[in-house]
Amino acid sequence: MNGPTLEHYLVFSALLFCLGLYGLLTRRNLIAMLMCTELVLNAAALNFVAFHHFLYGGDATGPVFAIFIIAVAAAEAAIALAIFIALFRHKRQLDVADATRLKL
Amino acid sequence: MMHTILFFCLAAFTVFSAYFVITSRHLFRCAMGLIAALLGVAGLYLIIDAQFLSAVQITVYVGGILVLVVFVILLVADVTQKVFRQGAAWRKSVSAAVCVLLFAGVVFATRAFPFPAPAGNDLKSATIEQIGHALLSPGPGGYALPFEVISLLLIAALIGAITIARSETRPGGPPENSL
Repeated sequence: MNGPTLEHYLVFSALLFCLGLYGLLTRRNLIAMLMCTELVLNAAALNFVAFHHFLYGGDATGPVFAIFIIAVAAAEAAIALAIFIALFRHKRQLDVADATRLKL
Repeated sequence: MMHTILFFCLAAFTVFSAYFVITSRHLFRCAMGLIAALLGVAGLYLIIDAQFLSAVQITVYVGGILVLVVFVILLVADVTQKVFRQGAAWRKSVSAAVCVLLFAGVVFATRAFPFPAPAGNDLKSATIEQIGHALLSPGPGGYALPFEVISLLLIAALIGAITIARSETRPGGPPENSL
């Protein structure tokens, strides 16, 4: 079988990471920035799984790390969205430039 | 060969969706693009035989996190109105330059680094059984302690999110229930 190689996966996840980073640097809306962070985390998890498949022949460490990344992303998204809601309640908008203080 | 073609199709789909996420000015469409990108990554997991991770990606990311994000978008933004300010042009060009440089560096490093040859000719991924054993067994090769720590983290995040997002009542005023 002549499938994709490790390099394919590494280059693809680098591309996904850079797209996410670009979004993180240019977007002004906090929710959009959170979505770009999800792209970056996905690229990292994909790298773990690709290394596990291509180099370590089924050692379960790679998928376990990917699962942990997904779990941490879930926790992070929950907290971030709660903060956004609290921020929106006071500021009525979600622009990073205006969110200079966490405390009222 | 079939797998390679499938890989390129899924990769192109994912990159296109990710580009949509980072450029669309409409938040709700960004969320839809992110769903497409996450589904594309789940397909890429399937190509390298990581069925369990693919299922986790779809259930937790698309079914959990993205639904949460969509809820918050509907709560905080008037989706019919798409007025949020764009970044300055110099910021965009500097960011693009940084990202292109980083990408070129990573690709160069990937090409230059001598990765060891794949273990054997038959590449395989861990089965669900192996992942389960690794997650729940203490001792060497097991991740029982990190697993418990993650559970604690999720509980803490849950309680913290409820505490932060709870609508407080102002002392001496009507309850603020506009959101």
